[in-house]
Amino acid sequence: MTKNPLHDFFQTKSIAIFGASASKGKPGYVIAENFIKNFKGKTFLINPKGGEILGQPVYQSIQEVAEPVDSAVIIVPAKYTPSAVADCAKKGIKFVTIISGGFKEIGEEGIRLQKEIDEIAKANNMRIIGPNCIGLFYPKRGLDMIFLPDEKLKRPGVGGVSILSQSGAFGSAFLDIMGSLGNGNYLSKFVSYGNASDINEADILEYFGEDPETKIILAYLEGFKEGRRFIEIARKVSLKKPIIAIKANRNEAGAHAVASHTASLAANDAVTDALFREAGIIRAYTWDELFDCMNAFNSSFLPEGRCVLIITDGGGAGVMASDAVGELGLELAELSPHIHEKMRADLPPIISVANPIDLTGSATAKEYLYALEQTIDDPNVDSITYIIIPTPPAINVYDLMEGLKPYAKTIKKTITFCAIGGKEAAYIREELEKMNFPFYPTPARSVYAIDKLTEYADYLRAHGMALPKLREVPKE
Amino acid sequence: MTTDKKSLFETAYKEGRNFLLEHEALQIFEAAGVVFPPNKLTKDVDEAVAFAKKIGYPIVIKAMSPQILHKSDFKAVEIGITDEGALKAKYEAMKARLQKFALNGILVEKQVKKGIELFIGMNIDPTFGPVIAFGIGGTLIEAIRDVTFRLCPTTKERAQRMIDEIKTQKMLNGFRGLPPVDRDALAEMIVNVSKIADKYNNYIKEIDLNPVIANEDGIFGVDARIILKAKD
Repeated sequence: MTKNPLHDFFQTKSIAIFGASASKGKPGYVIAENFIKNFKGKTFLINPKGGEILGQPVYQSIQEVAEPVDSAVIIVPAKYTPSAVADCAKKGIKFVTIISGGFKEIGEEGIRLQKEIDEIAKANNMRIIGPNCIGLFYPKRGLDMIFLPDEKLKRPGVGGVSILSQSGAFGSAFLDIMGSLGNGNYLSKFVSYGNASDINEADILEYFGEDPETKIILAYLEGFKEGRRFIEIARKVSLKKPIIAIKANRNEAGAHAVASHTASLAANDAVTDALFREAGIIRAYTWDELFDCMNAFNSSFLPEGRCVLIITDGGGAGVMASDAVGELGLELAELSPHIHEKMRADLPPIISVANPIDLTGSATAKEYLYALEQTIDDPNVDSITYIIIPTPPAINVYDLMEGLKPYAKTIKKTITFCAIGGKEAAYIREELEKMNFPFYPTPARSVYAIDKLTEYADYLRAHGMALPKLREVPKE
Repeated sequence: MTTDKKSLFETAYKEGRNFLLEHEALQIFEAAGVVFPPNKLTKDVDEAVAFAKKIGYPIVIKAMSPQILHKSDFKAVEIGITDEGALKAKYEAMKARLQKFALNGILVEKQVKKGIELFIGMNIDPTFGPVIAFGIGGTLIEAIRDVTFRLCPTTKERAQRMIDEIKTQKMLNGFRGLPPVDRDALAEMIVNVSKIADKYNNYIKEIDLNPVIANEDGIFGVDARIILKAKD
């Protein structure tokens, strides 16, 4: 098996930045600054104007660099890009990321330029990411090609999630959200691959599948360069780690004249749906769903079965969560008799010890914690959704959060959290995210997250695989 | 699947057709282990009567013409023929009705008992290449749209998951007094169709088996269509 080229892109020891700029606010400046400040390797700045950026010399041409260079990132205008790629070829650089736009996506002239690049790359055994993308981000090595400044896009810290995104804007916004969530430590590797003139979605998926640092794979796709290969790779990768993917552009017609029923039923999106299922890919349809899945897979365990326990203090919230359980084809757990009896005896009669466990408007933090303590090891319960409406007078949310903290380290069961309301709900969210618990703003989303974890666990069981431990325990 | 039936495709191309006649398609399916009711291409009414006597009534007759793809548009199918008198009358009437078309013969086929109408098909997806389709079949197929897909060729385990994925599970579990569908046999049939698509991938553009009927006697392809790729 040949080594996946993404390995060299991410593990590069030295990089040349074509189009490094001294003007603050320009993409060429932001990228130069990212590398100078953070990259654990050598950075060479290239710009015909020469000079200095942040105290580092700027070479007028790559040929002035005496030592060998592994890779390059190109941010010069499209019309100068082929000559920059040719310079890389001359220097022996094999791995080139082209951030610049103005290629295939703009029409004829761009297509011509992209073809020119492809030919140079092919003739010199070079591999290309892009053009028209935001490139790579790998926080562990400070490899950061994102031209959006740090104060605008909060970079996530090191974690186990890797992302491949056809869209740069989607990818960067998602990174910003990850960076702002909880302790922000979520990301292993990010690739925005734009026009995919060479490296495509299937190559990246294959690499993330092999990469030991990647625990969870997220994908944002609008189309495929190698759809069949993507599915074939996903079949293998999904047995080792979850793949959660959006395939947008869902109304794209599989437009061709059809003579059979099969062809008329085989609208491209229906086929995508079924083939994702075949390959064990969890399909998200919306931004919320992708985020909710990321949060669940990164912060929870895979459930041993389909039985969900709802713990709440709100009748309505419990009913809505039960509805979601039914609609998604999950089941309401029935507590083990001895646990049920003990809880019935210990709790005031107003509290409903069924499923949902309804602590009612007289709920206290102590009762909330008691309900979790009693049910967390019940083998009849495969997962718990813990829905807090903080408004009742007797709930001290500070005590409740203090009481949940020890569970952040010890928990072994699938659990999702929800708090509904204003200021106190926001506080609960913040505290739970610090504990790296998956938090959701509505009961339906809290149950949806359990459903997706269950779907993946079912897929693994059906394929005879053990369930991997996914939850990241928060670092002190 | 040892027998090679490439000549059937070559004949179709030679005749300028982009589809196989049903009796040709049946040879492909039967060679691959896909079960159809007893059938025979007949040249005249005597041959039809003799074959019907052998397999028993009721029977169906279908005209096989290189000029007719959609048989129902030309009244080229008669179903529910229950005796020799009706067979003779309908056979001759069909011949007369379709005299302006070139006829390769009339296919006589045992009519299967009532059952659940399913479908199995194959299509070349512009993104993913050849895919096998399975779902609820019959005349309402495009209204119901209860269908799922896998890459071709597929495996028995994957075919079983396809069957489990269909939304209308009620239909498969013993609907209206019918026996439950034999999921194992059905999965095998899906796999066999996917293998045909793979084996003849130079020729086949689309396959339709609609309906596939599951009844107390087993699972049978009833109407079979194979559409060919444009000859290059």
